[in-house]
Amino acid sequence: MSSAGLGRPIAIRWSPLVTALAFALPVLFVLAPLAIFLVYSFFSVDQGQIVYAPTLANYLRFFTDPVFLPVFWRTIVLCLSVAAISILLAYPTAYFLTTLHGRWRYALLMLLMVPLLMSYVIKIYAIRSILGLNGFLNKALVGLGIIAEPSTLFVFNMNAILLTLTLLLIPFAILPIFLALERIPQVLLRASDDLGASSLQTFLRITLPLSLPGVASAASFVFVLAIGDFLTPQMVGGISGFTFGRILYSQFGTAFNWPFGAALSVALAVVVIVAILLGERFGRNRGASL
Amino acid sequence: MNQTSDLLTLRSVSKSYGTVPVLYDIDLAIRDGEFLTVLGPSGSGKTTVLRLIGGLEPLTSGEIRLDGRDISGMPINRRPFNTVFQDYALFPHLTVAGNVGYGLSVRHVPRKEIARRVAEALELVQLGRFTGRFPAQLSGGQRQRVALARALICQPRLVLLDEPLAALDLELRRQMQEFLKSIQREVKTTFLFVTHDQEEAIGMADRICVMEAGHIRQLGTPHELYYKPNCEFVARFFGENNLVVGTLGEAQGEFRAIETALGRLVCSVAGQPHLKAAAIGARGFAAFRPEALHLAGDGDAGNRFSGTIADLAFAGSSTVATITAGGDTAQRLRLRFPSRVDGSVLRAGETVALSFAPHEGHLVLA
Repeated sequence: MSSAGLGRPIAIRWSPLVTALAFALPVLFVLAPLAIFLVYSFFSVDQGQIVYAPTLANYLRFFTDPVFLPVFWRTIVLCLSVAAISILLAYPTAYFLTTLHGRWRYALLMLLMVPLLMSYVIKIYAIRSILGLNGFLNKALVGLGIIAEPSTLFVFNMNAILLTLTLLLIPFAILPIFLALERIPQVLLRASDDLGASSLQTFLRITLPLSLPGVASAASFVFVLAIGDFLTPQMVGGISGFTFGRILYSQFGTAFNWPFGAALSVALAVVVIVAILLGERFGRNRGASL
Repeated sequence: MNQTSDLLTLRSVSKSYGTVPVLYDIDLAIRDGEFLTVLGPSGSGKTTVLRLIGGLEPLTSGEIRLDGRDISGMPINRRPFNTVFQDYALFPHLTVAGNVGYGLSVRHVPRKEIARRVAEALELVQLGRFTGRFPAQLSGGQRQRVALARALICQPRLVLLDEPLAALDLELRRQMQEFLKSIQREVKTTFLFVTHDQEEAIGMADRICVMEAGHIRQLGTPHELYYKPNCEFVARFFGENNLVVGTLGEAQGEFRAIETALGRLVCSVAGQPHLKAAAIGARGFAAFRPEALHLAGDGDAGNRFSGTIADLAFAGSSTVATITAGGDTAQRLRLRFPSRVDGSVLRAGETVALSFAPHEGHLVLA
């Protein structure tokens, strides 16, 4: 009693404060700004001045103006493609990593994560110089004789955004898939062998289904990060690569219409929340803790 | 000659991990239809034997023959054996039916037949109502039975069980022991059961193979191992035993004397020519079970000596007395006798005359 009792009064004295902080920080820095945004989306702008009278005009404009909805859908499709391509590339990589043993596995994983340490802008510049009309990719394709002259297929357009976002976000896809694969107990694979399955059958029936939660997390990660990005489209998208993020940016930056920008953000936030919820829903194992 | 034929034979099988040897020249013949238990402490190599047979690991040298045909190089998914893994290794994303039917489904057995055989297998392990559940929704004992049904459904020639009861509590383990044994009798499949628990081994096995430090020490029926251990390790490992060190004396027919600190003890060597042939003066042990030792009566013609009762421990149906005997060399012996409702007749500190009959004593070479 005596020795155990010594530490407790201090812990008890501090615990309400710690609890209050734990709740206050996210409320202050996450929920409050979001709420302010939500409130702003119901205001309007008149000659550069914000009018603090509630209105649905911003939302009405978003749904009726022929400019916004098509860009909105196109951006969602773009980001879904980014997520799909990232996963197609990340899955084999992550699978290969799990076949390595001991220190090689983690050394290689660290190498794959190194790009995350570099500045986002520098990476975009680097990729831009690779994708350009006189960039490395075009020169390589011409040099190999695959195309006769430099192609504009991936220069300052949607394809350029697609390629760039995929390259930038792949590490975020590799990590959750790798973790999901690594968590599969080896004995399950041996049990599958033991029951007569070929290695392809074991992969398709055991490894793949058990790694799907990781794939779902990876997809929602990449999608959410891609859809919120405005810098990449701005820098590699040119005129034709117009995304929802760029519109948002222009409302806050050039047009200086914060209420409308806030309304567009709310629309984006809804998509992001749905993506995260879906990722969460499928990211959990089907009632199965091992 | 053997009437039952050998299903599987291991011939001078060795296994090393890198430069560390774990099995040395193992020879073992598994008979068709028997329940063979491989028993040993951890690190004895018993699980390695199972893994080599199952094809989970390659041999370092030697060969494994099935029906006389070498299968050492056969890949795991071709071997007609199935394993019940220690932690069951059920597939968490498949239902009970999906788990049990897995082995058939990867062999492209028609769906209707799978459903029928899964139902049969689940009936056999008394889990007929659980087809749609996921493993996470089952208790330990139920998972165990699913794992068993999954292994049996492919009608393997040999079922390998890797300490499958280790994770269960005592009561459930007892039930599962009986259950496993009855299933084995029903399906008449050969079971190779690995455990470190000698009580479990005695209760279930037709034959027991005792392993220690990568060697097979003895292979025989539970009765043989209990009453005729062939070495000090088996004598000590297998149940409680009194071992008294000494030097061998002369053989007389089916008996042989040993000179010990307790005096000259006469023990049986019936049916064990190596004990009859051992040199006079060789080091050995007199081995006798706690239940064979008793208080000596007046006309007792057995091996007599006196000892002091150091301690009495009530253990339910029996009581165990710890006895010091042999004067300066102070041998500690155990004496087990039926408990009585009105208390023990023995008192701690008392000096008593003890004896055991020569045919209940056994010799073990050191």
